[in-house]
Amino acid sequence: MAYAAGVDVGSTQTKAVIVGEARQIVSRALVETGANVIRAAEKAFEEALHAGDLREEEVEYVVGTGYGRYKVTFGNTQITEISCHGRGAVHMFPGTRTVVDMGGQDTKAIRVSYTGEIVDFCMNDKCAAGTGRFLGAASSALGIPIDGLGPTALRGERPVKISTTCTVFAESEVLSWLGKGKKIEDILLGVHQSIAARSAGLLRRVGIEEEVTFTGGVARNMAMVDTLNDRLGLKVNVSEESHFMGALGAALFALDHILASRAPAKSGEHAS
Amino acid sequence: MFEQLREWERNRHDYAKAWKQRTGGKVLGYFCTYVPEEILHAAGVLPVRILGSHEPQDVTEPHIFGMYCPFCRDCLAQGLKGRYDYLDGIMIAQSCLHIRQAYTSWEKHRPREFSYYLPMPNHVQSLRALPYLTGELVQFKAAVEEWTGKTIANADLDKAIEVYNENRRLMHAVYELRKGEEPPLTGEEAMEMVIASQMTDKTEHNEELRKVLAGLPTRKDGRDTGVRLMIIGSEDDDTEFINMVESCGATFVVDEHCTGTRYFWNEVEPRHDRLEAIAARYIDRVPCPSKDWVERTRIQHILELAREWKVDGAIVMQQKFCDPHELDTPAIRKALEDAGIKTLFLEFDVTVPIGQFKVRVEAFLEMFAEEDLFD
Repeated sequence: MAYAAGVDVGSTQTKAVIVGEARQIVSRALVETGANVIRAAEKAFEEALHAGDLREEEVEYVVGTGYGRYKVTFGNTQITEISCHGRGAVHMFPGTRTVVDMGGQDTKAIRVSYTGEIVDFCMNDKCAAGTGRFLGAASSALGIPIDGLGPTALRGERPVKISTTCTVFAESEVLSWLGKGKKIEDILLGVHQSIAARSAGLLRRVGIEEEVTFTGGVARNMAMVDTLNDRLGLKVNVSEESHFMGALGAALFALDHILASRAPAKSGEHAS
Repeated sequence: MFEQLREWERNRHDYAKAWKQRTGGKVLGYFCTYVPEEILHAAGVLPVRILGSHEPQDVTEPHIFGMYCPFCRDCLAQGLKGRYDYLDGIMIAQSCLHIRQAYTSWEKHRPREFSYYLPMPNHVQSLRALPYLTGELVQFKAAVEEWTGKTIANADLDKAIEVYNENRRLMHAVYELRKGEEPPLTGEEAMEMVIASQMTDKTEHNEELRKVLAGLPTRKDGRDTGVRLMIIGSEDDDTEFINMVESCGATFVVDEHCTGTRYFWNEVEPRHDRLEAIAARYIDRVPCPSKDWVERTRIQHILELAREWKVDGAIVMQQKFCDPHELDTPAIRKALEDAGIKTLFLEFDVTVPIGQFKVRVEAFLEMFAEEDLFD
């Protein structure tokens, strides 16, 4: 029985997934990335091994992904999170043609083929508005933990308009709405709508083809899912594993490698 | 093999100062590649292109609008910081407003003994563009003669035209070699070669190119070509970016840049009236998008380059806020995609975020190898 792993070192959190030969998820782990990126990758992998009751030698191939992919020092190779999220999303939801990945510091819109190959993609440029960081700014301005933002926003009825497109200024805008006596839930609903609008714009740049799968840490936030659905006029796919989609894609690429190395070489294949 | 060209590109100011000391001649800094350098060369002047230095700076803020492109701001910063104080003259040929603002601000705050605005027509597709520019070149030649005290004879112009045409032919010959399966030079080396040509005496640059061409066909640099890329867009002398991309399993085999093919692609065709011949070259050259209107002639040219150099993918870049390129980019990307060439669009600033660009570039390159990511 062979095992393969993917380690996704994100700007905020590091995720590890181990898959078995039947492409089933064996275990997963999530740790804060922090300042020591190499250690975070090691720790996530160790925790995933532990959770799956596996020894390191049993994992034959490891793919690193995410912004810290080159810090996965024990990894056998690196693949960008763009390819990995596409692959993971198509694995989870085979009808996926468009992926929106919302992470800590960037949001990506990815168009994929039915096999999970990337057709086109684009990312937010230079600015973290419309990413998880925007929620982080609202969280610190309002003193509400990140996990509490979605549930609070879902109670909102009269969302305020968050006009700013800058994450840094979002915090002061939130505070000014508070000063005007607006309810926290309405402010937060406005924040979510603002992010949904930015993300929808990014998606339109690559073209939206259904089904749309929502991945990344922010996909756990139900208010974000709701506002994105409203904005796009469709229902995005979300899974329990959304947060782990990049690591899952990386693990699947790793498994491909293991299986391909067993199979006889395809004709016309070049050695490199 | 490219050491000398790289040295000139990197130490452009040292070269110009040494040239000045050695020859006692005048050095003129120019903005934009529409400046008819042949006339300056004929008068014994060394034209050098003014480019930025890719460092964050804080000196241009009161002088140039914040939404003008980062390149024009970076150029002006060089002047305001005194890095081009050895220049005897500056000039511009009309292309876009942004770079013109850099020129006028430089003229005001860092005046030289000679400065000249050449109203190069934007509507180059008009039949009246050639007689108009020819007339302007008559005036320009007279201004240069007055400045230098040297009369420019037809023989001087003929010689200058030949030196410049030879430079174009030699760089073409280098580019020809990039068509091969394993190009003997990188895109970074090609970019350094063209930028060095904009900074040095063409006679000297030609000599160096002849040396390079003697050894280039048999050069083996041992690197994998990888994905064959083309780069298209506005002014771009960001060799660091080119290097980063080429370290990710790709090679730039051709470009459509004014620090590349747009600068040297066309020669001056002989005509009895030398100034008209020079004018025709600049009217008919591969245009900057600020002049490529009503018909977008660049697109056909880009597709031909892509086909001849067997390009797999294209990076389409532009300086932030560069409106002329911004306008053409969607049409160019569509034409390339329709021809089966994948594109990646990137917006450049004075400094580029290498890490953020690297993930985009790597993902783009993965698109060419998804089936065999592990081969």
